[in-house]
Amino acid sequence: MGFLDGLAKWLGLKKKEANVLVVGLDNSGKTTIINHLKPEETKSHDIVPTIGFNVEKFQTKSLQFTAFDMSGQGRYRNLWEHYYKSCNGIIFVIDSSDKLRIVVAKDELDTLLDHVDIRSRPIPILFFANKMDIRDALSSVKCSTMMRLEQIMNKPWHICATNALTGEGLTEGTDWLADQLKILLGAKK
Amino acid sequence: MLKRDKKEEEEAGGNPFFNLEKTSVLQEARTFNDTPINPRKCCHILTKILYLLNQGEHIGTTEATETFFAMTKLFQSKDTTLRRMCYMVIKEMATISDDVIIVTSSLTKDMTGKEDQFRGPAIRALTKITDTTMLQSIERYMKQAIVDKNASVSSAALTSSLHLMKTSHDVIKRWVNEAQEAVSSSDIMVQYHALGLLYHIRKNDKLAVTKLVSKFTRHSLKSPYAYCLLIRIACKLLEEDDAGSDSPMFDFIESCLRHKSEMVIYEAAHAIVNMKHTGTKELAPAVSVLQLFLGSPKPTLRFAAVRTLNKVAMKHPSAVTACNLDLENLITDVNRSIATLAITTLLKTGSESSVDRLMKQISSFMSEISDEFKIVVVEAIKSLCMKFPRKHGVMMTFLSSMLREEGGFDYKKAIVDTIISIVEENPEAKEAGLAHLCEFIEDCEHTVLATRILHLLGREGPRTLNPAKYIRFIYNRVILENAAVRAAAVTALAKFGAHCQNLLPSIIVLLERSELDMDDEVRDRATLYLNILKEHQMALNSAFILNGLQVSIVGLERALHSYYQEPSETSFDMKSVPLATQPLTEQKASAPGEISGAKSSEKVAASRQDVYAEQLSSIPEFASIGPLFKSSSLPVELTEAETEYAVQCIKHTFANHIVLQFDCTNTLNDQFLEDVTVQVETNDGFEVLKYIPTPKLAYNVTSTTYTLLQLPEEPSQVTGTFTCTMKFVVKDCDPNTGEPDDEGYEDEYVLEDLEIAVGDHVQKVMKPNFGASWDEIGPENELEDTYALSNMKSLDEAIKNIKDYLGMQPCERSDKVPEGKSSHTLYLAGVYRGGHDILARAKLAMGDGVTMQITVRSTDPHASEVIASAVG
Repeated sequence: MGFLDGLAKWLGLKKKEANVLVVGLDNSGKTTIINHLKPEETKSHDIVPTIGFNVEKFQTKSLQFTAFDMSGQGRYRNLWEHYYKSCNGIIFVIDSSDKLRIVVAKDELDTLLDHVDIRSRPIPILFFANKMDIRDALSSVKCSTMMRLEQIMNKPWHICATNALTGEGLTEGTDWLADQLKILLGAKK
Repeated sequence: MLKRDKKEEEEAGGNPFFNLEKTSVLQEARTFNDTPINPRKCCHILTKILYLLNQGEHIGTTEATETFFAMTKLFQSKDTTLRRMCYMVIKEMATISDDVIIVTSSLTKDMTGKEDQFRGPAIRALTKITDTTMLQSIERYMKQAIVDKNASVSSAALTSSLHLMKTSHDVIKRWVNEAQEAVSSSDIMVQYHALGLLYHIRKNDKLAVTKLVSKFTRHSLKSPYAYCLLIRIACKLLEEDDAGSDSPMFDFIESCLRHKSEMVIYEAAHAIVNMKHTGTKELAPAVSVLQLFLGSPKPTLRFAAVRTLNKVAMKHPSAVTACNLDLENLITDVNRSIATLAITTLLKTGSESSVDRLMKQISSFMSEISDEFKIVVVEAIKSLCMKFPRKHGVMMTFLSSMLREEGGFDYKKAIVDTIISIVEENPEAKEAGLAHLCEFIEDCEHTVLATRILHLLGREGPRTLNPAKYIRFIYNRVILENAAVRAAAVTALAKFGAHCQNLLPSIIVLLERSELDMDDEVRDRATLYLNILKEHQMALNSAFILNGLQVSIVGLERALHSYYQEPSETSFDMKSVPLATQPLTEQKASAPGEISGAKSSEKVAASRQDVYAEQLSSIPEFASIGPLFKSSSLPVELTEAETEYAVQCIKHTFANHIVLQFDCTNTLNDQFLEDVTVQVETNDGFEVLKYIPTPKLAYNVTSTTYTLLQLPEEPSQVTGTFTCTMKFVVKDCDPNTGEPDDEGYEDEYVLEDLEIAVGDHVQKVMKPNFGASWDEIGPENELEDTYALSNMKSLDEAIKNIKDYLGMQPCERSDKVPEGKSSHTLYLAGVYRGGHDILARAKLAMGDGVTMQITVRSTDPHASEVIASAVG
């Protein structure tokens, strides 16, 4: 088994693996996004508020993802930090229809970026401006200004508008993340 | 000790986790963060963590939390063994780590997932990490799991619900419908667990439980486990209702005796046998079922049956006699536990003639059975000695040979207890028993037992025919043993010296040697006793050596403390200390099974007076009347049961006053009483000094009002009858809110009459050596009188009445009349109000009725007069 694994990896047949952390405020659509990315047969039909976290696996063309889907509710947010150390990338989901709480999201992002396990690492951060289908949702540009994303200097980041129900925009984002991670994991070797 | 070391070494050889280091294991746990995960390695680390936790290793919250969160990353692996290991660790760490709720969603996913191996364990782990607030969010999944088709999932959910019940009863209550559905499951375990949950949900509602039982007794259940549970529930109901064999519940239990499962049959028989009110008629079918089990080829069944019969034999020996033949067969059973129980059962039921044979049989394998069963044997011998006092010779030899064998403390204690009780009950066995005990203390490693035996020797030894022979054994203790035993031995020696004049010179020589002992206590005792003995005064001997201190320890502590707080010129007065209420241990002729219950209540009784003293001293009006002398033991009911108001009276006696404490309860929910007092009237010279009302008396609350009485001037006038009336202001109130109206009206309620008798002025005191105390007081205030008690039918009845009326303590077991005697002497001791010692000797003769000649001695002439004239 071990030998075959090694052989497959050497031949480039087996995909590389990466851990990503999925965070964001409650009701922003994290679990729905992950659910949409999962293979067809493992999808679940009813999405309930996550308590704690869920581990899911999904893959893109070139990379195998293990996603830690964290709970976004206020009292569980301080548990995110336990997973910072072991993640290779972060997906930050923003509810673009909830203008009122976008400052809260900004606050949480700042705390995240300032954490000792994140601050100095050049890990890629992917922003999903979710719920673009809702009529008066903010555009991705508007979101990024409100979140002051331009101030993130030492990390690659990308934002795209998505609709997790239909899956619109998700692939664009995950492909970007996969590319970034491949560069990063390749560089490590 | 050496043996154990060796054992440990052997164990260490086979144990791969021996010498595990906590820090290194927690360090290893960081492997959990690696990607990809190595399931085998992680499983091994988890096992190590579990091992550490089970060894009682303490892991701090920070460390535990770190490890816990590292472990949560293992949820990405699909490996089944690893996942199930995770559940185990989650359960163990649920209480020591912070933020364990982090795994809630992962666990709910597993419990609803497709993998059956995960579902049950996930439920159990989930309930461990959930608290009441979180329960709401998983309630839906739990309900689904209860009615799941998979039996293991359903059972896990049901048992988990039972655990959750302790903290969140209200939530679980809503799951009744699901539990109901699960009871009809075809799986026997699910049915059992569901019934258990249903019962616990309804436990507090007796009507619902009754319905539950009657419903399921009609629809027959499939699971024998559920049947057993149902029998237990039915039993509990029967006990609560105090119902007899005519109840439908009993019919159900009885019908279970004919069930096809052995387990159910045994449970039913066991239940019937243990019921409080079973008579011979109800017992017969149960015993005959057990009798059938005795012949079963399965050892567990035989054991269960014989053990139950052993218990029955205590209460209903006659019912078990029918099984004697089957029990005889079990004496030679290969299983020693079964054989022991069979023999002890036979000992309880058998006749006097079979005792010798059975004892011989049992001693043949005594060395092969464990301590626990040896104690069973000792207990059987004890009850046998009570039954056949003439057989004490055989028993004593047997017990003493048992004493010589190896055995733990509990075992030795049981034997010593038995010998002591035989010595006390049976005067013929005294010499032999004491001799065996003497031999035992020659080589006794238990200090507690040695001091106890020395105390007994000190009390009983001097009164035997040849006291001198015990001295050697006791003095050996002074030379050989530890300080506590030496002190006890010195006291015992002093008692011999005080009692036997001819031994006094030798005793003094022996005690003088202890004056140089290394231990303070031993030295102090020796010095004190020497000085007293050298005085050659019987009174001193009696007061300080033969009869110990009679005060209540708590009371003495309090009195000394207050004396220490406010030092005064006068010396401390021992008479002001309340006397110890004599606990009712002397009348323990009850069945052996009830002894444990009786003992706990004695402890309460002993400290009751101290509680009252505390309460009364907190009332400023009673500050001037001195220390409490005595409180009446049982409250007197001044109302019939189930009347509007319930009133109880407790009499507290002081040096020149009596305080009547009335505990009033208002049983009307639409009334609110204020300013409640109990007015008393009498013609017997008592004067009411003060009423202390209780300001408010709400529904179903007990409040206390006091009435203070001054005793009559004439010292011989001590008894009286009082008419009591409760006076109060009534206010109507709303039964629901308890809010009273503003307007009220005065009302009164006539209570039953209250009596103050001679017994209220006398406190019981135990004089271990009555003769010495009798001589100590002397004939100065002696009074003698003769009475004919024509309405007494027997000596026992007369003794009981005299004892209760005078309120004095019978000494030297003189309250027990040897069988077949027509005359008897009763020795009574007490302390009269004001701290005067009082002793009475009543010679009783049975003729046409009972004739009594009573002689009273006291340190106070009035006390003698009161007691001597009281009986009339």
